[in-house]
Amino acid sequence: MSSAASTLPREETDLETGTRQVPQRPYHVVVWNDPVNLMSYVAWVFRSYFGHSKERAHQLMMQVHTEGRAVVATAGKEKAEQDVTAMHNYGLQATIEEA
Amino acid sequence: MARAFRATTYGYKADLGDHERRLLTGLCADVITLLERRGQEVTAGGGFTESTESDDAGTPAQPEDSVFAHFSAELAGLGEDTPLQPPRDKVLARLLPDAHTEPEEAGQLRRLTEASLRESKIADLRTARMLLETTPVKLTEDQAPAFGRALNDVRLTLAVRLGIETDEDADRIREVAISGHAKTTESFMAEIYTFVTWLQETLFTAMIGMLPDQPERE
Repeated sequence: MSSAASTLPREETDLETGTRQVPQRPYHVVVWNDPVNLMSYVAWVFRSYFGHSKERAHQLMMQVHTEGRAVVATAGKEKAEQDVTAMHNYGLQATIEEA
Repeated sequence: MARAFRATTYGYKADLGDHERRLLTGLCADVITLLERRGQEVTAGGGFTESTESDDAGTPAQPEDSVFAHFSAELAGLGEDTPLQPPRDKVLARLLPDAHTEPEEAGQLRRLTEASLRESKIADLRTARMLLETTPVKLTEDQAPAFGRALNDVRLTLAVRLGIETDEDADRIREVAISGHAKTTESFMAEIYTFVTWLQETLFTAMIGMLPDQPERE
């Protein structure tokens, strides 16, 4: 479509597309138990990476240990994927799942 | 005689004997090699189809095979949607785990993230090797997490080689290690594993002590 005669500025259309909010589906970051990782290490990771309090980190760590897994964070898909990769970087077993 | 990690005014410090530092440096180098081989294998097209997988030892495909592997993949019509299979080597599979419980989903995520995960681990292990060059071993606050991650990867590697899959296995290895002088390869490795465990435990206990008390973020 020729824009030569158009009175609609192109910027108007682009701006509308750019600012439309897409609601984010939540995803869980799940950490799984394994017999190797130290409780002190796991607690440190939960506190320093996710910013969990001492109590919450301990609770999550115990849940992983006794129940085999725990949801340690919930976020949009991209952030949750980054979190899972970060957990792998720390040597934890982690997966992403739909909330 | 090794003295464990403890916090200092600038970070953390441990007194390790020369042979202990050499041992740890060597272990880091082994894990780097393993991760690099996986990188070469994947770049050569391995891991995308069964026929181009390397053998269980994780050795890369031969150079001439890797050229044909690339063409085979193209000819088989494998596009960018092909999932990446997890490594067959058990250590690599533990260091580079699945990100999803569904294999197909895991393969897609692996295709997108494994390379950068490998690179991060290699960088941490290289940092650790560099830090192990001085005696005593000194870590700043910023360096400590990287060193800790590298130690953890070394532990995971040893644990897989020792066949530690359950809590009972871990207990048994601890018994083997504290029973005394190493006589077999397994008991020697168990002692090293226990040493690395102790080192990591002391480091992270000290690091936790440095974390600020913070309320739970909601």
